[in-house]
Amino acid sequence: MADFLSNYSIQKWLESCPQGYLEDTVYGHGVDEREPEDLLQNEAYREQQIRTTVQLIAGERCALAASSGLVNAAPDQASKTFLATQTLDEGRHVEIFTQRLYDLGVKPIDLESTIKAYVNPHLGKFAEVLLEKIDKKDFVAGVVGQNIVLEGMAFSVFEMLHAGAETSNPKFARTLSGTIADERRHVGFGENRIGELIRRYPEKKPEVQRMQRDMTKHMLATFHEAFARNGGPTEARASAPQKGKPGPTYQGLNLAEASNEDMEEALSATVLKEFKTRLGRIGLDYQSPV
Amino acid sequence: MMTDPLELPSGGRRPRLFFDLEETGFNEVPKRFRRFYRRWRGAGDKLGPNEALCPVCKVVIRSTKELRAGDRVYCMPCMSRLELVEEEGMLIAKVIY
Amino acid sequence: MAQGDNPHDLDEAEFRATVHSFEFWFEAVEGYLHGRPYGVSPGLQDIELSERQRQGLIMTLCNYCVGETAALDASSGMIGFAPDRGAKIFLATQVVDEGRHLEVLLHRMKQLGVADPDAEIAQRANRSLLKFKDRLLDFVDARDWEASVFAQNVILECLEFTVFRHHAGTADPVTAEMLRGIVSDERRHMGFGENDLGRRLLTAPHTHDRLCKIKRELDSLVLDTFAETMGELGIEHDDRPDLAGDYLAAVARLGFGA
Repeated sequence: MADFLSNYSIQKWLESCPQGYLEDTVYGHGVDEREPEDLLQNEAYREQQIRTTVQLIAGERCALAASSGLVNAAPDQASKTFLATQTLDEGRHVEIFTQRLYDLGVKPIDLESTIKAYVNPHLGKFAEVLLEKIDKKDFVAGVVGQNIVLEGMAFSVFEMLHAGAETSNPKFARTLSGTIADERRHVGFGENRIGELIRRYPEKKPEVQRMQRDMTKHMLATFHEAFARNGGPTEARASAPQKGKPGPTYQGLNLAEASNEDMEEALSATVLKEFKTRLGRIGLDYQSPV
Repeated sequence: MMTDPLELPSGGRRPRLFFDLEETGFNEVPKRFRRFYRRWRGAGDKLGPNEALCPVCKVVIRSTKELRAGDRVYCMPCMSRLELVEEEGMLIAKVIY
Repeated sequence: MAQGDNPHDLDEAEFRATVHSFEFWFEAVEGYLHGRPYGVSPGLQDIELSERQRQGLIMTLCNYCVGETAALDASSGMIGFAPDRGAKIFLATQVVDEGRHLEVLLHRMKQLGVADPDAEIAQRANRSLLKFKDRLLDFVDARDWEASVFAQNVILECLEFTVFRHHAGTADPVTAEMLRGIVSDERRHMGFGENDLGRRLLTAPHTHDRLCKIKRELDSLVLDTFAETMGELGIEHDDRPDLAGDYLAAVARLGFGA
C-alpha cells in the first residue's frame, strides 16, 4: 500500500497539476480564450449552457464537502495527504465553473439565485446520500460514494461535454480537460485504496452497496430530468454552432443530431458500465436501483 | 509670486513623492503583484517613505506613492487591509477588519 | 505596468475575492515552490549534524508533524461549515498547504534516518500540543466556526509562524529552506484567521467573551508547547524569540488582553 500511495503525494500533485497541465492557464483555460460570441448572442443556447454549468457547480460543491470531510476520517497519513490534494482540486473546480457562469453573463450578486433556479433537485438528493456517510466519518462508504460513484459519474459527464465543446468552444473544452485530468487521479485513488479496505472489512459491503444503489437511482433521475423534462439540449442545439456540420461524437452518437433520449441512454449506459467494472474490481457487486 | 494655499495639494502640504517599483525578490504573491512587497530585513532595516510594515505577517508593503496617515493599503501575503496612522510622530500600519 | 496590477487600487470586495481564490494561491506558491521538490532546492547540500543535534531536530520535527496534522484535520473539517464560498475555497488551499507541510516534514525525518516516522511521532509528541489538538478538533466537530478559526488560524498558526521563523534562522540549510517555504504559507493562514475573526467580532461583539474563555483555556497549552520546543532546539531562555511579539500581539489586535 505504501508504494501505491507514494504516487499520490503532494509533491507529485504539484509537479503534475499546478506545475504541469494547469501551467499558463487562468481559471483552467488559456489566457486569451473566451466563450464564443455566437453562444453569448444566442439566448436559448446561453441559458442551456448556464443550466449545464449550474449542475457542474452543484456536483463540485458536493465533491468539495465530501473530500474535505474524508480527510478527517482517513485512517492513515498517506490517504489524508491525497485527500488534501483532492480537496483543493474540487475547490478549484467550484471556482472555475463559477467563473464560467460569470463569463456567460451571470452577475456575481445573482450567483446563488441562479444556482437555485437551475439546479436539478435529484442532484441534491444524490449529494445527501453521500454527505450522510461523510457526516458519520464512514471512510469506506465515503470513498466509494465520492471517488467511485460521484467521480465516475463526473468523469463520463465531463467527457461527453468535452466531446461536444471540442470544436465549438475551445475555452470550455480546455477547462474540462483539466478537470478530467484531475478526476483520473481521484477515481484511481478510489479504486486502489478502497479495494484493499473492502478486502479488510467485508462486513461493510452490504451497506456500501445500498448507498451505491441509492446514489445511482438519483443519478439516473438527474440525467433524465436534464435531458428530457428540464428543457434538454436538443432545442438549444437546434441553433448551436455545430448544427448541420459534421458533429462531434460521443460513444458513436453524433451529438449535434442525436435526440435527447439517445443522449440520455448513451450517457447512462456509459456510466453504469463504468460503475459495474470499477465496483467489480474492488470486490463489490453493482446494485441496480430498479 | 505667491501661491494660493488652496491650490496646493492636500491643503498646503508638499506634493507626494512617486516611486517606480522594482522587483525585490519577494516571491509569495502572484508575479504581477510581487514588486509591491519585500521582505523585512530585521532590526537594521529602514522603511522608505512609500513603505509600511505589516504588523500581521512582517512583510514590507510598498506603494508607488509616498504613504501618509489615512492611506489604505493591502498586504496580499497575509490578506490584510491596513490603514496608515501616525503615532508618536511615526507612521504605522494598523489592521482594519 | 498595467493599471490593474496595483493591489492597493482594488476595492475591498475585489481584494478579498482575489486573495481567497485558487488562482491567487496557484500563482503565489509557484513563486517559492517551483523547482524545489519537498520544499528544498535540489543542489542544497546537507551538513553533518552531531547525534545530539540530530535527536533534537527529530524531536522538534515530530512535534511540528503533530501541529500540522491537527491543522490538516481541522482545516479540512472546517470546509463543511465555512460561511461562504470564498472561505471554502481558501480553506481548500489551506488543506493542501497543511498536507504539504506534513509531507515535507516526514520526508525530512526520513532523510535524518527515521525509519518509522509515525511510531516516532507517537512516542515523542508533546502532551500539551496533543491536548491542544483535541480541543481544536472538538470545536471543528461542534461546527463552531469562530472557535475553530480562533484556535487554528489565530492561535496555532501564530505559534507555528513564530517558531518556524526563528528555527529557520538557526537550522541547518536544508531544514531552514524547508521551513521558509512553510512560513510563506503560514502568512496566508494566519492573516485569513485574524481578518475573518476581526470582521466577525465587529458585527457580533458577544462572541468576544466566549473566545476570551477559549483563549484562557488554550494559552497555557500554547505557551507550554512553545517553551518545550525552544528547549528541544537547545535555545537558552534569554535567546528565545518573543512569542508575545506575534501571538499575544495578534490576539491583542483582536481585542483580547494578555
